[in-house]
Amino acid sequence: MNAALGTAGVVLGLTATVLGTATLAIGLRRGDPRLLRAGQRYVWIILGGALLAALAMEAAFIGHDFSIKYVADNGSRGTPLLYTISGMWSALEGSILLWTLILAGYLAVMVRHFRSRAGDPLVAWATIAGFAVAAFFFYLMVGPANPFRVLSVIPADGRGPNPLLQNHPLVAFHPPILYLGFVGFTIPFAFAIAALVTGRLGEGWLVETRRWTLFAWGFLTVGIILGAWWSYEVLGWGGYWAWDPVENASFLPWLTGTAYIHSVMVQERRGMLRVWNLSLLVATFSLTILGTFLTRSGVLDSVHAFSESSIGPALLAFFALVVGVSIALIGWRGDRLRSPGAIDSPISREGAFLANNVAFGAFAFVVLLGTVFPLIAEAINGDRLSVGAPYFDRMTAPVGFTLLFLMAIAPALPWRKASGELLHRRLLWPAWAATVVVVVCVASGRRGLAPLLAFGLGAFAGTAALRQLLLSARAARRQGSPVWRALMGRANGGMVVHLGVVVIAVAFAASTAYGHRGQFRLEPGQTATLAGHSVTYLGTTTTKHENKTTLSAQVRIDGGQVYSPAIHQFPFASQGIGSPSVRTGVVDDVYLTLVAAPEAGQTAAVVGVNVQPLVAWLWVGGGLMGLGTALAAWPGRRRRPTEPSAAPAIPSGRPEEVPALVDQQPVAVSPRA
Amino acid sequence: MGLVLAVALFVGARGESGQRTASQRAHAIATEIRCPTCQGLSAADSDAPAAQAIRDDILRRVQAGQTGDEIRAYLVSRYKEEILLKPAGDGVASLVWILPVGAVTVAVAAMVVAFRRWGARPDVAVSDADRAMVDEALNR
Repeated sequence: MNAALGTAGVVLGLTATVLGTATLAIGLRRGDPRLLRAGQRYVWIILGGALLAALAMEAAFIGHDFSIKYVADNGSRGTPLLYTISGMWSALEGSILLWTLILAGYLAVMVRHFRSRAGDPLVAWATIAGFAVAAFFFYLMVGPANPFRVLSVIPADGRGPNPLLQNHPLVAFHPPILYLGFVGFTIPFAFAIAALVTGRLGEGWLVETRRWTLFAWGFLTVGIILGAWWSYEVLGWGGYWAWDPVENASFLPWLTGTAYIHSVMVQERRGMLRVWNLSLLVATFSLTILGTFLTRSGVLDSVHAFSESSIGPALLAFFALVVGVSIALIGWRGDRLRSPGAIDSPISREGAFLANNVAFGAFAFVVLLGTVFPLIAEAINGDRLSVGAPYFDRMTAPVGFTLLFLMAIAPALPWRKASGELLHRRLLWPAWAATVVVVVCVASGRRGLAPLLAFGLGAFAGTAALRQLLLSARAARRQGSPVWRALMGRANGGMVVHLGVVVIAVAFAASTAYGHRGQFRLEPGQTATLAGHSVTYLGTTTTKHENKTTLSAQVRIDGGQVYSPAIHQFPFASQGIGSPSVRTGVVDDVYLTLVAAPEAGQTAAVVGVNVQPLVAWLWVGGGLMGLGTALAAWPGRRRRPTEPSAAPAIPSGRPEEVPALVDQQPVAVSPRA
Repeated sequence: MGLVLAVALFVGARGESGQRTASQRAHAIATEIRCPTCQGLSAADSDAPAAQAIRDDILRRVQAGQTGDEIRAYLVSRYKEEILLKPAGDGVASLVWILPVGAVTVAVAAMVVAFRRWGARPDVAVSDADRAMVDEALNR
C-alpha cells in the first residue's frame, strides 16, 4: 500500500514536470500567457506528488512496513520514533526523496511568489529550468534510486538505521537544513538560465533572486556547522572537521556561493562582472550535484557516506549537462554580457570584492583538487595516494588569513577609490585592537604564528565590523529610528555574519593549536590529569535498550559532575560504536571517550581525554552567521524591481544603509519611480 | 604600532620552535600519517588499535634518533604511498601542490593586467554641450 502510494507520487511528480515543461515551452513559442500560467500551475501537482511520496515513506517507516526494502534496511521496530522519522534520509534513496520534496517546495514558493508575473518569459523560463531539475530527481527515483523497491520476502524486523545515525538528535535536523541550502541554489540558478535564454541580462534577475540566494546560503551555512557539530558529538575522535569528502562536498558550493553573494554587489552597483557572476552561480549549483556524485557514487570513501549505489553515471551525466548548457548559453550571450564599466582603483570596495573572489576561488580550487586528487593520480599512473587534513590545512591557511584581512578592510573601503588618509582614519581602531590582542596573547604565553595571526586578524576584522554597526546605530539614532534598525539590511546583517566568521576563525585556530589529547588506563577511583583538568574513573554500567546495549563508563571531571562516555552495541553491527561525552564550557571543552571497556575479569578501562579551548564558540559563530543572514534578508521597504540600472536607486530614509551612503559617491543616476 | 605588532608576532612564532620533546615530535609526525583502518583520520587522531600501533612505532623511532623523513620513508615502504596524508612533493603527487599555486598566480596576474587596462583608459572627455546640459539640469 505504502509502496504503491509512494510510487504513484513519484510517477505523478515526474509526469507533471514533463507536462509542465511542455506546456510552458508551447506557451513561450506561441507567446500565450494563458498557457504560461497553466504550465506554472503544474507545480502544485509536482509538490503533491513529492509530498505523497514522502508521506508514504514516513507512513511506511512509522508503520514498520518492511515490505519496502528501504524501510527494511533503515528502520526497525526497536528504533526510537525520532530516528524512525529521520530514517527517511539515512541512506541514498530517501535522501533523493528529501531533496526532491524540498525542491518541489522551493518551486511552489517560487511560482506563488511570481504569480502576478506568470506571463513574463523570464519567470516562465526560470520555471522550465526548475522543472527540468525536478524531472531529473524524479527520474532518479523511478530508475536508479527507487526508494519504493519492494521485497518479495517480508522480514519480521528491519535492520535499523546505521548506528551512527541513531545516536544523536542532530541527525533529525542537520540533513534537512543542509538540503534547504543545497537545493535553494536551484532558484537563483534557474533565474540565471532564464536571464541567459531571454537575453534580459540586466540586474533585474539579480535583485529578484537576492533574497532566495541569501536564504539558501544561510541554510547551507547553518547546515555545515550542524554537520561539524554532529561529527564532534558522535564520531568520537574529538574533532569537528576532517576535510572528509562529504564535508568538502558541502563546503565547495558554500565557497562559490559566498564568492557570489559578494561579487554580485559589484554587478548591482556597477553593472560589471556579469559573466563571472553567472559562472559562480552555475558553479555553485553544479557543485551541489558534483558533490552528491562524489559522495554517493562510491568513488570516494567518507565517514559521512552511508550509502553507495548505481546513481553515479546519472549524476555525472546531469552535472555535465548543467555545465555544458550553462557554458554554451554564456558563450551565446557573450556579446550582451560585456560589461560597460571599469574599476578605477584596486584600493576600493570593488577592488576588495575582486580580491575576495580570487581568494574564494582559490579556496574552492584547493578543496576540489584535494578531494578528487586521489582519483586523478590513480587515473594518471595508477598511484594510490591520500590527500588529507595536513594538505588542506597547509594550503587553505594562507587563503583564510587573506580573507580575514579583506574582511577587515573591505567594509571600510568606499566604492570607486579610497585615499590613504581615509583608510588610516577608518582602520586605526581595528588595527589597534589587532595589536593589543596579539601583544596580550604573546604576553600571556600563547605561541605559534598561525593562531596568533588568526587572533590578530580576527580582532582586526571583528573591530571593523563592530565599527560599521556602531556607525549604523548612530545614524539610526540621529534619524530617530529605533536602534535595532541598525542591525537590519544587507550591509548590517552582513557585518553580523562577519562577526560570526571571526568567532569561528578564532575558535578554530585556538582549538586546533592548543588542544591536548591523552589516553589513560584507569582503575576505578583512579584520577588522571590533562591540561589542568582531572578525570576520575568511577566504574562502568551496562544498560539494555530496545535497539542497543550500552556500556557506559562514569567519569568525574574536575571533582564535579559525572559524564558517561559509552560504547553501544547494535544488533546488526559487528563493531561497537563509541559515543563520546562532552563537558562544554565557555573556555574549553573536556571531551571523553571510552576507548576500551574493562576486559573480562578486570576492572581497568581506557579513557580518552581531549581538552580543546573555545570549541563551543564554533557553534555560537554558526548561530551568529545564521542570524546575520536573516537580518540581511529581512524584508525592508519594498524595492521596486527596476530592470536596468547600473546603480540601484538609493532609497532615501533607509537608516540601515546610511553609513554606506556616507562613503559613496553617486556613480549613476537611475530612474526613480 | 606596526613595529609592536611585528615584534610580538616574531616572539610568538619563535617561542614555538624551541626544543621539542620526543613525544611532541612523534605527535607532529603522526598527524600526517593516515590511520590504515579508518576513513581519512590521522594516526594521531584515531583511537583505533592500528593507529595506536603506528603512534607507538613512531615514538620508538623518534627516541632512537630517526628523522621525520626516515620515519616517513619507512612507513611508505611498509604501507605504501597511501599512508601519507600529505602527498609528497615529487612525481604526479606534486601536481596537487603546484596547480593551486599556479592558478592563484595566473588569477593575480590577470587582475593586475585588468587594472592596468582599466587605469589606462583615457578620462572621459567632457564637451561644452555636456556642461551646458548639467548646468541646465542643476539650475532647473
